Amino acid sequence: MSSAHSSASGQPASLVNRLNLQQYVVYLGFLVIFLFFAIVLKDSGFLTVRNLSNIMLQTAPVTIMAIGLVFVMSAGEIDLSIGSTVAVSALAAAVTVNDYGLGAGIIAGIGAGLLIGLLNGVLVAYVKLPSFLVTLATLGLFAGVSRSMTNLRSIPVTDSTFTGFFGSGSFLGVPSLIWWTVVAVACGHVIYRETRFGAHVLATGDNSRAASVSGISVPRIRLAVLLISGGLAGLAGLLYAGRLQAAKYTLGETDLMTVIAAVIVGGTLLNGGKGTIIGALVGSLMMGMLNNGLILMGLSVSDQMIVRGLIILAAVAVSLREKSR
Amino acid sequence: MHRAVRHFALLATVFVATSGYAADGKTTGPHGEAPTPAGTFALTAAEEQQVKDGKFTAALVWHEMSEYTNAVNSGAHDEFKRLGVEVVAQTDAGFDAARQKSDVETVLAKKPSIILSLPVDPATAAVVYDPARTAGVKLAFVDNSPAGYEHGKDYVTIVSDDLFQMGNKAAVAMADALGGKGKLGYIYHDADFYVTNQRDGAFKSTIEQDYPDMKIVAEAGMADPARSEEIAQGMITQNPDLDGIYVTWAEPALSVLSTLRGAGNSHTKIVTLDLNEPAALDMVKGGNIAALVADEAYNIGVTAARAAAGSLVGKTAEPFLVVDSLAVTKATVADGWKKSLNKDVPATIADAMK
Repeated sequence: MSSAHSSASGQPASLVNRLNLQQYVVYLGFLVIFLFFAIVLKDSGFLTVRNLSNIMLQTAPVTIMAIGLVFVMSAGEIDLSIGSTVAVSALAAAVTVNDYGLGAGIIAGIGAGLLIGLLNGVLVAYVKLPSFLVTLATLGLFAGVSRSMTNLRSIPVTDSTFTGFFGSGSFLGVPSLIWWTVVAVACGHVIYRETRFGAHVLATGDNSRAASVSGISVPRIRLAVLLISGGLAGLAGLLYAGRLQAAKYTLGETDLMTVIAAVIVGGTLLNGGKGTIIGALVGSLMMGMLNNGLILMGLSVSDQMIVRGLIILAAVAVSLREKSR
Repeated sequence: MHRAVRHFALLATVFVATSGYAADGKTTGPHGEAPTPAGTFALTAAEEQQVKDGKFTAALVWHEMSEYTNAVNSGAHDEFKRLGVEVVAQTDAGFDAARQKSDVETVLAKKPSIILSLPVDPATAAVVYDPARTAGVKLAFVDNSPAGYEHGKDYVTIVSDDLFQMGNKAAVAMADALGGKGKLGYIYHDADFYVTNQRDGAFKSTIEQDYPDMKIVAEAGMADPARSEEIAQGMITQNPDLDGIYVTWAEPALSVLSTLRGAGNSHTKIVTLDLNEPAALDMVKGGNIAALVADEAYNIGVTAARAAAGSLVGKTAEPFLVVDSLAVTKATVADGWKKSLNKDVPATIADAMK
């Protein structure tokens, strides 16, 4: 498994080069795309504060989910159920907040995410089923649950404190979605980089047998990362419900691939052992910027999809090539 | 006095009759608006010149991209081009309301004068379009408008199919294909979606009211088109003697078609909505598909673009403009393609017709 740990045995000079390149691929890619759009779309509103802040607001839920997925993928697992978790959490929060108030809504939303994470975690960590299959199954299972929860209806969220706190409000002049992004990225980064738990997650993903021998409770780590991912997908559901002032079963359905792309382009290995929260943030912003810039370029929808696919392919190719050298 | 009572009685009769007709046989707008034929909305030469002089721009914020949306999109493009309105952006929300909100925010960076759109989730779409409405962008919608929005103040118009007419024509086409009698399967869209709900309902009520010898003996709701093959499989296994199956739109109808072919069934006829090349090919080759009911999708785009452009020079449009629909059969496929999509019939179908 290629990782920062295993690469420590390489030549000192090439190690420096390699680490630098690896570390900066996503930032360089981000910068190149940003500069490209800034030049091409200089008269099309791309560089306005409003447009750039829109990109950040629009990517907030994806960033939050991406943080959870960095933990999961770093531990060598995957969570495909996040798309459905978002919808279940948003609907649970919307129904509850309308009937029982703000606190109950938040608990129901995040709680639903945590419960789904717990189910995934128990099945992966203790029943020893592969996370790909478990979360593929729960993706379908909870897509069905979200459809049946409100019989396909969308539920308006009328509590203005909820919508302000989670989506449409602002604090100290900064939109709440940006606060959530900053707080989640900061907490995620510190836990991932600076705590023993973060190190244990990486060790589990790098080599679970070695991690186990060295005294790390691998099942507990697997449970924890899937729990984190579920909880954060639940939070993303609340952000969607707050931003749209409504919840529907379709929320988050199309996000899974964007989140995975953001995490991988950001520099997290698909098979574990290495990851970065800041990279996932930049990857997520890159995805949002691509959507935004390609629309502003006036491309047809099909052309937008083709160009977006090619750019993601190029970004992944560059970052994976660097890692496997 | 006597005369007044008679007048009242007459008015009451007319009211009851009209209401009955509205419930049973007429498309009404999503908020109960009376329909106005799309062809009645026109711009004068002077108004067209005013639009051209205005150097306006437009963004097309679609709910998803399909053959139908493509036709609407191309109608809008052509009409905007004719009127000198530049299309500056085009988006596809993939049926995701959150993405549609992002799309509206994004296209606003280009400061369009007009946004044409089909709301993914009308019940909650006000939040999606509010930034555009606040910015003074003229909004014209296809099929539906956000709940709480007022015609004339918040949006220009809604342009749609004559939905009842489509479902009704599907029922008539089914009856024509089966000689007015037989057992039917009914696969409807199991979602709270105004367009499909109206069309499906019109098919069912027409069969029930106008064709006593045709009976719907099997019903199945379909929420996800990807599952339609399984639904069809179940329906055909339980009812192998069905004479006809109505399918809510063409994409799931193809799954039903493949199920029938797989079962070696050439007897059961399918009637569905929207033009679709593989379905039409089966129809011209004398397969299971008996008729495809299509709307004038291209014309929806033309009308929405024209109404939105007109609003920029002070021309008001009726709240609910409807385009016509047509039942396309083997005999009328070439004309139907032209009328619905403003395109020549695809070469594969033209070849099969020779």
